[in-house]
Amino acid sequence: MTTAPATTDIDLLRAMRSGSADAFAALYRRHQGPLYRFALLRCGAAGSAADVVQETFMGLLTGRFQFDPLRGQLPHFLFGVARNLILKLEEAGRRHLPLGRPGHDDDEDGLDLPDEQACPLARVLGNESAEQVRRALALLPPHYRDAVILYEMHDLSYADIAAVCGIDIGTVRSRLSRGRAALARRLQPLQA
Amino acid sequence: MRKNDAMDSRPTRAPDHDHDPLFDALRAEMATLDTPPAVEQALLQAFARQGAPAAPPRRWYQALSARDWALGGGLAGVALALVAALSVTLPRMQAPSAGMQAAASRPQLVRADDGAPFIALDSAERIEDEPAPRMVETVVPRSSLVALGLPLTPDNAGDAVRAELLVASDGRALALRLPDIPAMPDGGWIAN
Repeated sequence: MTTAPATTDIDLLRAMRSGSADAFAALYRRHQGPLYRFALLRCGAAGSAADVVQETFMGLLTGRFQFDPLRGQLPHFLFGVARNLILKLEEAGRRHLPLGRPGHDDDEDGLDLPDEQACPLARVLGNESAEQVRRALALLPPHYRDAVILYEMHDLSYADIAAVCGIDIGTVRSRLSRGRAALARRLQPLQA
Repeated sequence: MRKNDAMDSRPTRAPDHDHDPLFDALRAEMATLDTPPAVEQALLQAFARQGAPAAPPRRWYQALSARDWALGGGLAGVALALVAALSVTLPRMQAPSAGMQAAASRPQLVRADDGAPFIALDSAERIEDEPAPRMVETVVPRSSLVALGLPLTPDNAGDAVRAELLVASDGRALALRLPDIPAMPDGGWIAN
């Protein structure tokens, strides 16, 4: 079976459910890139990002994650699934951390404390300035990181980010503003 | 890692999407990153093993075939026609005749007393046991006696009727006699 480039996600999903492996491959190739880049920036490790992408599409394949076209677009749904999987990974990692770590509330208490467990600072990118931005991003609290990555790297609107993260638009604005401010502080030497 | 930009469905950047220039280098660097090919291979193998992926649970109305819909629609139509037919015929079948209506509306304790209707307003025992009844003559509107079964026509609706009230010593009305209204021997009214 051949799939035309103009085929919509819904058509591909339908064909995939009818047993077309080509449709599934086309759907995967269409969305894996943004999803992988999101997961990579979000959890900071290439291996974890690949696992998240694989689990997201496996969930789509097995019916574990049910996409409803009436509730939004497939890319946003996939971002939401990937984000939830990453949160589970972080939750599992946090169980091994000592008590007294700052929570995920909206204050800036956690801004200066790098989350080494969830965001390894190993070099990922070749370009030095890009790598510095990535590292600064990795030091943001996860809930700020979500908003900044989805807005700056994936061009999602406030409403789309709100849907992906399950928060209201006002919270998206606030997290984006605080995340940007924290990044600007960290990257001040780079900008000077 | 390979690049599949042709299949990416990144939304067009909105003109009012104010991007932070800090991310330009990161965006350019990340644009070349994709999920490792092993992930696609694993997913396609999983697809081949599983066959057609599980379709989302269908809603009840989606599970019905065209034949089911036709059958259901036909049954509903027949039921509606039946209800409509019953609603027309039942009231006719149940409509009582004029005589039956008069008999039904006739008070239980109506007797003919000297050719005039005698209407007991209390029980026969109470009337018989009353030690000092007195008769009070009065005139009442004919329309006020409709509740007691007195026939009313447009011609006599405004008439007044002479009535004799049997009143107990405590002032309570025990019975009513209408001397100007002819009554049938069995106590039925004669319309006039």
